[in-house]
Amino acid sequence: MIVGKQKPIEETWAMVKDFSRVLVFGCNTCVAVCHEGGNKEAQILASLMRMKATQEGLSLEIRDSGIERQCEHEFFESAEKDIEWADAVLSLACGVGVQFMVKRYPEILVYPGLDTCFLGDVEKNGLFTESCQACGKCVLAETAGICPVSRCAKRVLNGPCGGSNKGACEINKDLPCAWQLIVDRLEALGRLADYERLAPIKDWSTERAGGPRKLIHEEFMK
Amino acid sequence: MRIKTLKRLLPRVGVDPARVEMFNLSSAMGPRWAEICNEFTERIRQLGPSPIRAALGRGGKGGTAS
Repeated sequence: MIVGKQKPIEETWAMVKDFSRVLVFGCNTCVAVCHEGGNKEAQILASLMRMKATQEGLSLEIRDSGIERQCEHEFFESAEKDIEWADAVLSLACGVGVQFMVKRYPEILVYPGLDTCFLGDVEKNGLFTESCQACGKCVLAETAGICPVSRCAKRVLNGPCGGSNKGACEINKDLPCAWQLIVDRLEALGRLADYERLAPIKDWSTERAGGPRKLIHEEFMK
Repeated sequence: MRIKTLKRLLPRVGVDPARVEMFNLSSAMGPRWAEICNEFTERIRQLGPSPIRAALGRGGKGGTAS
């Protein structure tokens, strides 16, 4: 899922405080899991902003609302009235959701309430870790299901590098060396021979460096 | 956990986190409930009026909810 972190309230407040009608708008899927941008977080942030407005003697009206996903047209119907009411929307979606709203509502100002951080998993309650960089050409079949593109600081494809030290990465002793994890897992699976196969030079054209990407399913297009 | 989060957030809008506490009590704990009420009332008295109330007293009308 996409992991994000709420921007400091001082920053988001500066974006919206000069408007008359502000909608704090939650996105209740990915960023709700990391407790940063869901509909509940939108309620809390709207409430905090009302406290701020009262203390600063401002008369702006702040409402909250939210939908399941801000990156798909079909979810917006229930919130249409709230969005049309607002002068400005503070979206708590990831950057995808914010931009989707900008495309859908060209007349309405939409501001980002989150910093979108990474694609990650819920390692345990309250801990979210990066595990995919959407490079467009998955190498997990060759690396025992552990991604060196996202989990090795150098994105080394034939690792480990010389900076691997007692299972940790040289950039941070608390960061496991992805290649140590790969070798350990191959060994545990009895497939250490796979480690001897050199990975070819990776085709990075499918990654972000090749420009914004698209996936097209013509059969679903109307 | 939610109260912990709230205590982290409230100072960002100028509200002392000591103004919020949560206690878990069973319905059979009347005396303890009364004790907590007294303690908390005393704490709030010591902290004085909240900045929100003070702002409202100054004629602040912002942040309307609907």
